[in-house]
Amino acid sequence: MKNKAPRKKPAVNRVYYIYVGILAVLFFTFHTIPFLKGVLYSFTDWRGYGEWNFVGLRNYIHMFSDVDTGNAYLFTFKFAVITTILVNVISLILACALNAKIKFKNTIKAFYFLPYMLGSLIVGFIFNYIFANLIPQLGKGIGIKALSVNILGTNHAIWGIVAVSLWIGCAFNTLIYIAGLQSIDTDVYEAADLDGATGFKRFSKITFPLLAPSFTINMVLSAKGYLMVYDQIMAMTEGGPGTSTTSIAVLIYKKGFGGGQFAYQSANAVMLFVVVVLISVFQLRILEKREEKLG
Amino acid sequence: MNKKLICTLMAGTLLVGTVTGCGSSSEGDSSAKGTELELFSSKAENKDILQKLVDKFNETHEDVTIKITAPADAGTVLKTRMAKNDMPDIVAMGGDNNYTEVESAGMLVDLSNENYISNIQESYLQMVYDVNKDKEEKVYGVPYATNASGVIYNVDKFKEYGIEIPKTWDEFIDVLEKLQDAGEQPLLMTYKDAWTSNCPWNSIASDLAPESFNDDRKAGKTTFVGTHEEISEKYLKLLDYAQDDFMGLTYDDGNKAFSNGEAAMIINGNWAVNQYKNANTDINVDMFAFPASNDESQNYVTSGVDVLLGVCKDSANEEVAKEFVSFMLEPENAKMYIDDQFAFSAVKGVEQENETVAGVKEDIAAGKVANFPDHYYPSGFDMSALLTEMCLNYTNGMDNEENINQFLAQCDEKYDIANVD
Repeated sequence: MKNKAPRKKPAVNRVYYIYVGILAVLFFTFHTIPFLKGVLYSFTDWRGYGEWNFVGLRNYIHMFSDVDTGNAYLFTFKFAVITTILVNVISLILACALNAKIKFKNTIKAFYFLPYMLGSLIVGFIFNYIFANLIPQLGKGIGIKALSVNILGTNHAIWGIVAVSLWIGCAFNTLIYIAGLQSIDTDVYEAADLDGATGFKRFSKITFPLLAPSFTINMVLSAKGYLMVYDQIMAMTEGGPGTSTTSIAVLIYKKGFGGGQFAYQSANAVMLFVVVVLISVFQLRILEKREEKLG
Repeated sequence: MNKKLICTLMAGTLLVGTVTGCGSSSEGDSSAKGTELELFSSKAENKDILQKLVDKFNETHEDVTIKITAPADAGTVLKTRMAKNDMPDIVAMGGDNNYTEVESAGMLVDLSNENYISNIQESYLQMVYDVNKDKEEKVYGVPYATNASGVIYNVDKFKEYGIEIPKTWDEFIDVLEKLQDAGEQPLLMTYKDAWTSNCPWNSIASDLAPESFNDDRKAGKTTFVGTHEEISEKYLKLLDYAQDDFMGLTYDDGNKAFSNGEAAMIINGNWAVNQYKNANTDINVDMFAFPASNDESQNYVTSGVDVLLGVCKDSANEEVAKEFVSFMLEPENAKMYIDDQFAFSAVKGVEQENETVAGVKEDIAAGKVANFPDHYYPSGFDMSALLTEMCLNYTNGMDNEENINQFLAQCDEKYDIANVD
């Protein structure tokens, strides 16, 4: 009797193991193996084809003296910091507005979510046209010199890319914030009302702290996404003018495939992976601690 | 139950995905239903005419199917495919550093002993030898169509102001001044697309750079600093006559603007001519060699091998591929190609008669041509990024001398990084 009971216990259907097994194999073959291969190549001098030798850490050491890589990291960090902050501020404001009792709420929500459904390449091409034609005409019309040229051809090209990234990125972040806002118990607000907390005070003392989990997700995901920014840049400036908007992902693609530096750029990709993981873990640590304190 | 269903569906779709994935990749190898070849073209612009020629070829070869691939960023795609060992059967690509990469990896068949080689202009064969690994004198790529780069001008505007074609640098500057004084836009530049910033550079450098510069630079015996100062100065001088937003104008928009008569001249190549014609059928354009020097004999037409044909090693259908290359080089077919593309032919006796490029025809026939310097730069060396950076500094009001010094030092530095075999 005693022996029979534990034998019956694994009631989990074997089918689940089969499914998980299949997916694990597929994931391993098409995701993990290529990744590990990339790591392997980063220790070689492979150009993408032909013969290769192991060169140890040469690629990684070279990275620290390479001006191009340094500039790309500078640009990427600058871009990621600016965009992550702005996208979260704007999304938070939008979410609060959309969560208020206004008319046509759902229609407006749908409009805000539309950009997210378009591919960022398409958005990039559309904005390319806007920056090249519409804005300069407007600028000339009202006589502002700074607006009368294509911003993507100037020193300020980064702001053009930031604007477009915000336009695409706000949709998703707003959605998460709205979900967070809806999960806040209305009792809390009623209590706040009784205590006389209204307006900005209510937001800073009640809404924002209770949104902590959404804030964590949004910060980590957007920082990760913007550190790996690629498609908007390829669609709008291809890293130019000069190399002023070359992000690390763009550099890896351009030099890795176009410039015969496959192995070296693999090392760069591994480095980017490490940097993104470190930053994400760092953010999670701090933000989760904050959640605990508030919780 | 629901969860099970979802799991089954997901696993199912994934499996189907992988199975069909395998299916499509093995399709190329099967030659059960006739012979299927792939022609890889690095020029999206010539896809239509290649298709016409393929159709013509099929009239006599019914069992052969030739599929044309002409992706964007073709050089990169080809190199990626080389990495995967998934080469096409025939390549039609430029005689530039992408070709060198493919050739030096030993991917192409030696065609030196084919009959048609004797019918190809020597100057263009030499250009292909020059970009072979170690300058080996073997024909791994047969020069097919050639291009010409220089100054494209609006004929009607030149007539309106009674302007003669400038033959020297000083005359050229006079023309630019005259047009500017008359309230015309002398030059249109489209540097938003960085590659177009190479066009004036290539034309000036091929006239003024020391003759053995490219070999010496590769060997490390000379530097950009000390040899390219005058070239850079003249390059920047041109910007004085460009429109205000020259860093923000794209190639496509610029072509439209030029076709609508918004500027008198544009520095680009014969490949752009049918774009103008498409935008405005009434436009009257012609071309002249860029007069970078005051010594008229130094002002060459910049002309390179725009399309060369190569047969890939390990192609299962090498014989058919060779037959196709030979078919393409028949004078009648070569003429069909250049007429469509406003290009020039490397096949002897096949001449471009279109008046839109008449101004450079004689020079080309007489062999007064110099290849694009950037065909000799290492493939990791991105000249256009350096040039647009210099232009950006110019728009920011940096002092020309400081700008040039910085630019040339950068050229040498980046060249050395890219110059690895």
